[in-house]
This record gives sequence, structure tokens and C-alpha cells, in this order.
Amino acid sequence: MSIASSALGGSAVGGATATMISLIGSLADNKGALGRRYGEWAVSAPTIESAVAAAAMAQDELGHARSTYPVLAKLGVERDDEGLDSGCPLVAIEHELPDWASVIAANLIVDGILTTWVATARDSSIEPLAQRARKILQEEGAHRIHAEAWLKRMCRSGGEDRRLLLQRIEEMWAQAARWPGPGDHRGYGAAVSEGMVRSRPDEVRRRVRDWLAGLLEAEGAVADLSEPTDWSGWDERIRR
Amino acid sequence: MSRADETVWEVFARKAYEEPLHHVGTVTESDERLAIVCARAIYDEQPWIHMILVPRTEIREAIRA
Repeated sequence: MSIASSALGGSAVGGATATMISLIGSLADNKGALGRRYGEWAVSAPTIESAVAAAAMAQDELGHARSTYPVLAKLGVERDDEGLDSGCPLVAIEHELPDWASVIAANLIVDGILTTWVATARDSSIEPLAQRARKILQEEGAHRIHAEAWLKRMCRSGGEDRRLLLQRIEEMWAQAARWPGPGDHRGYGAAVSEGMVRSRPDEVRRRVRDWLAGLLEAEGAVADLSEPTDWSGWDERIRR
Repeated sequence: MSRADETVWEVFARKAYEEPLHHVGTVTESDERLAIVCARAIYDEQPWIHMILVPRTEIREAIRA
């Protein structure tokens, strides 16, 4: 069972604190999964430089997960277990990634969405979250450099590398863009009003979309980064 | 993906400012910012206080026996 699903009773859903419990628990779940996915590619990245970078990013993500879970305790949530191998991350990063293009797409999109959200919590009224956010943001700069450099390289190499990367970006976006939730979510709105987080979900998506679209445009590429519209199957407890 | 057009960076580091920079290895990477990230990740076995990267093409030979 995920942190988020164990923490959110039905009656609590909708409140600012319940929304933050869902976001923080899912952030940790996804960072743990991202760490494992990066780690799996640390032995098979296309270059030795990126293999080492993948190992370093894996270490960072697992550290972020480990330091984020205790924030839940400050919000009165007891975890089911202490492992990093549990939880409900996005389906796209739940299992080993099939190719290097997927690793870079996860680096761009999943890491991008999560880090952009963390940036909106840098001055959170939940002080333990604000502290973690500032530390996470220091380390995420290197992840962004890695993602941007590989996007350029794969787009410039053309052919199958470029085609597959654009496909993986669109696949990853379709899932990860839903992570922040609907733009008009009441609990999220209340969390913004109470200073727990600074920006609403659609603003988080817009920032990532603008950054990514700019990178792609510079390489003469485009990808479908549409705003999610169908929220009928979206589950707040696991944010997917 | 061909690596033929990538930059080879020579990496130098030191553990104290009173020490000279030592050559610790190379990084092959066309993106300058990623080269720095990779050098820090690869050559982290010592508590360096200073590390620099120099493109191999910028090195000039003074003696060649």
C-alpha cells in the first residue's frame, strides 16, 4: 500500500493537509522509483560518463525519497513500512525502463515535474518540507543539466534516436502531467491559500511545458505537451 | 550515436590550495556543463577543494621528445 493511500481516509480528501499528504507521499514514492530506474541504467548507459552520472542521480533520488518520507510524520501520518521499494509511483517508472530514450524522458519529464513542484514548496509553511525542498533543489541542478544535454544530443543525432526520444517524451508527459492534479482542485487551492505550496497544478505544468518546448524548439523538434483534460479516472490518493 | 565529434576534457584537481593541481583523468563529453557534472561524479574518490577541466585541444605542447 502506498504512503498516500494509507494516509488519506475518505473524509480527509479535499482538505489542504490531506492534499499535501498525498503530494508529499507521492513525491517520495516517485523519487524512490526514479532512483531505482536511474540505478538500473548505471551499468548500461551509452557512455561511461553518463553511467556514472546515472549512478549519482540514483543516489540523489533515493536520498530525496528517504528524507521526504519523514515529513509525513510531521503531518501525523504513520508509514506502513520503512522501505524505499514500496509505494505507488507513476506507471511509467514503476518498472525497469526499456531504453535510454525512456531514461532521458523520465529525467526530463518526471524529474522535471517533481522538481518544479518542489520549487513551489521552497517557502512552504510546512517548515520540514521547505527545508527538504531547498536541499533537493541544490542537487537537482545537475539532473537538469544531464537531461538538457542528452535531449540536444539525441535530437541532433537524428534518425531513430530522435524519433524514439520524442515518442518517449509524449508518453511520459501524458502520465506525469497528471501528477500535480486538476487545476481547480479544492484541496490544492486551499493548500496554496495556506502557504503550504506556492503554485497551482496548471502553473506547475505550464512551467515545465515552457521549458521543454523551448528546448525542443531550439532543436527544430516538437512534442505534444497538451494540458490534461480528462480527470475522470484520476485517483488523488496515488496521483495517477 | 557517434562520439567522434565530442570534446575530450583533461581533468585536474587538488586537495589543498598550497598543492599544485594534479592530472586526475579525462571526460569525453560535448556539453560543457555536463562535462563538469560528469567530472565531479567520476573523480569523487578524494576530498578535492578545486577541480578544473581543460579541453584537450587547448593544450599546447612545449616539448615533445
